[in-house]
Amino acid sequence: MGSCRSTDSSSSSSNHPTDLSFASSVSLSKSDLSTDLRLGLSISTCHDQHSTSCPREQASDWPPIKPLLRKALAAEEEEDNHPTFFVKVYMEGIPIGRKLDLLAHQGYCDVITTLDHMFSTNILWAKEDGVMHSEKCHVLTYQDKEGDWMMVGDVPWEMFLNTVKRLKISRPAEKCLY
Amino acid sequence: MNYFPEEVLEHVFDFLTSHRDRNAVSLVCKSWYMVEKFSRDSVFIGNCYAISPERLIERFPRFRSLTLKGKPHFADFNLVPNDWGGFVYPWIEAMAISGVNLEELKLKRMVVSDESLDLLSRSFVNFKSLILVSCEGFTTDGLAAIASNCRFLRELDLQENEVEDHKGQWLSCFPDSCTSLVSLNFACLKGEVNLASLERLVARCCNLKSLSLNHGVPLDALQKILVQAPQLVDLGIGSYVHDPDSETYHKLKCAIQKCTSIRSLSGFLDVAPPCLPAVYQICLNVTSLNLSYAPGIHGTELIKLIQHCRKLQRLWILDCIGDKGLGVVASTCKELQELRVFPSYVFGVGRAAVTEEGLVAISAGCPKLHSLLYFCHQMTNAALIAVAKNCPNFYRFRLCILDPTKPDPVTMEPLDEGFGAIVQSSKSLRRLSLSGLLTDRVFLYIGMYAEQLEMLSIAFAGDSDKGMLYVLNGCKKLKKLEIRDSPFGNGALLTDVGKYEAMRSLWMSSCEVTLEGCKTLAKKMPRLNVEIINEKQQLEASPPDDRQKVEKMYLYRTLVGPRRDAPDFVWTL
Repeated sequence: MGSCRSTDSSSSSSNHPTDLSFASSVSLSKSDLSTDLRLGLSISTCHDQHSTSCPREQASDWPPIKPLLRKALAAEEEEDNHPTFFVKVYMEGIPIGRKLDLLAHQGYCDVITTLDHMFSTNILWAKEDGVMHSEKCHVLTYQDKEGDWMMVGDVPWEMFLNTVKRLKISRPAEKCLY
Repeated sequence: MNYFPEEVLEHVFDFLTSHRDRNAVSLVCKSWYMVEKFSRDSVFIGNCYAISPERLIERFPRFRSLTLKGKPHFADFNLVPNDWGGFVYPWIEAMAISGVNLEELKLKRMVVSDESLDLLSRSFVNFKSLILVSCEGFTTDGLAAIASNCRFLRELDLQENEVEDHKGQWLSCFPDSCTSLVSLNFACLKGEVNLASLERLVARCCNLKSLSLNHGVPLDALQKILVQAPQLVDLGIGSYVHDPDSETYHKLKCAIQKCTSIRSLSGFLDVAPPCLPAVYQICLNVTSLNLSYAPGIHGTELIKLIQHCRKLQRLWILDCIGDKGLGVVASTCKELQELRVFPSYVFGVGRAAVTEEGLVAISAGCPKLHSLLYFCHQMTNAALIAVAKNCPNFYRFRLCILDPTKPDPVTMEPLDEGFGAIVQSSKSLRRLSLSGLLTDRVFLYIGMYAEQLEMLSIAFAGDSDKGMLYVLNGCKKLKKLEIRDSPFGNGALLTDVGKYEAMRSLWMSSCEVTLEGCKTLAKKMPRLNVEIINEKQQLEASPPDDRQKVEKMYLYRTLVGPRRDAPDFVWTL
């Protein structure tokens, strides 16, 4: 998974800090998903040309700083290293797109709420099947790894994050009918 | 000298405060010895196992102030297992039994139990000052005992200790009658304190000069505290997070403006950078700034803060300041004497780091620099030579390159010449820590030039026994030598065994020294404790092979023989 991610994501992760701490930080993150993405998205190998220094710098007796300071810095690093995953979002008919950090959201509902605000509209997605309101006149779709355009919401959130490349908010009518 | 009455002698000796001077005076004649003995007020014991409490009390029956150090320095870096030792209880017990009029106790790297603190608080009616640095073993219950029982407490200073939080509202235990506090530092505590109690305590202690809060004290509480204590000289801010547009923040700004005596600032354990402008006013007069626990301040906010600190003499900072930031320090802080730059990332390379450039800039801009601790990614000989030339007054020079065997990246050579320049130029150098790729040559220079050197720390350096021998032979004033991961073995260890009695201690870990070498040394020098720390090997297993390399060895001179509180994994040979 890691290798094919890195080439694909290099374009969409242009906002990614090429922060080398990313590559080498020990994964204490909340979810395995974040780790996978981080490993996949990190293009560079272990920082600098000193890959031999990796084990040393992760030992608890080096660098020689007091345990209290070590803990304080580790805690801060933990908070700091929240991974990001920005994807492009276009509203059909509007040439200028936006960028959305999917990892800053807990799930689909969260994303929809943000997009509703971003584009001042009501967005339809897969979970609202069967209920066709005329007010909800936009449909959220995404382009997956294979280049196909799919409706957002069918697959589990984690699987979605692994496959999404960009989002599009499409015009109504024909596309809404399921 | 018999014609001087004792009271006069005593009065004269009162002017001698340094331990060395007092020790020298004791050697002159018997009557001077006796007068000095009974008038010695403060005692410093650099290794708690070098002497026993009973002998201390016998030697100086009327001391009132005691400083004790326990574990070896490398314990700070997780190299010494827990339970190694350094217990303060026997000392407190002995002093209590003998009726010592203890008023001040300062402990460093010792194990302090709640029972010790409780006994301390109940045994000495005039007890005034407790300073604990890098200690462990106690909880907030112990602090509650101190707060409750020490009627005349002036100082409770907890620096970087590991304290277990028992949520017992220890701070509320200071009775309403306690108004004597001058210094209160609890920044290292992890738990909450009762904010109302804190505020009342500060309000009634009008002599309070030094206050360091932990991150359980939010900004609105800080504001109320500062209103009550505008006379503060030393302030450690806990949590500094708020909405800069709020009324609370505005009130804080007003309160701060009245605190015109603050000269030392630290903390910012949690920080919202937009709130920093409120402290700019203080910064104008600050001489000491410690931001080593404030990774939340970086980038432009950090620079802006520093630009206000024109009178800074002491700066402790994280390496996220970067070389450019150090350049700003160099052009702003012309009075700088002490600089410490700590690494801001423990799990690898961080956003910005410092290199030799930052250090050279500092040395060029701050000629008064005499104390340095510098964690960096790389260093060059040229840079060290320039630093040596710009600042010839170092008494403390500690460099740590994060990749410990890294050569000069420009020339790919070892850093021998660079450090050689430092020891040659700073004639009063007392403490030195080495780093980077280093051969025996650097030790040759140290032995030749570092005449005042008292403490030397070596990691991943040297080629052979010759290196260590250059140091042992050359540095006449050496007191503490600590070595890790370097190729020094029995040859170096055993060449001049008498030297160790003139030193406080020697630490060697992951070197080439074998069990046989240590045993030989222990046999020749009965007044040394040669301790082997061997965590892996069980005593019940087959007798250890003498040819085996020793994992960790710590030896120290002592007047009281092997210690009786050593745990299983420590063998005194």
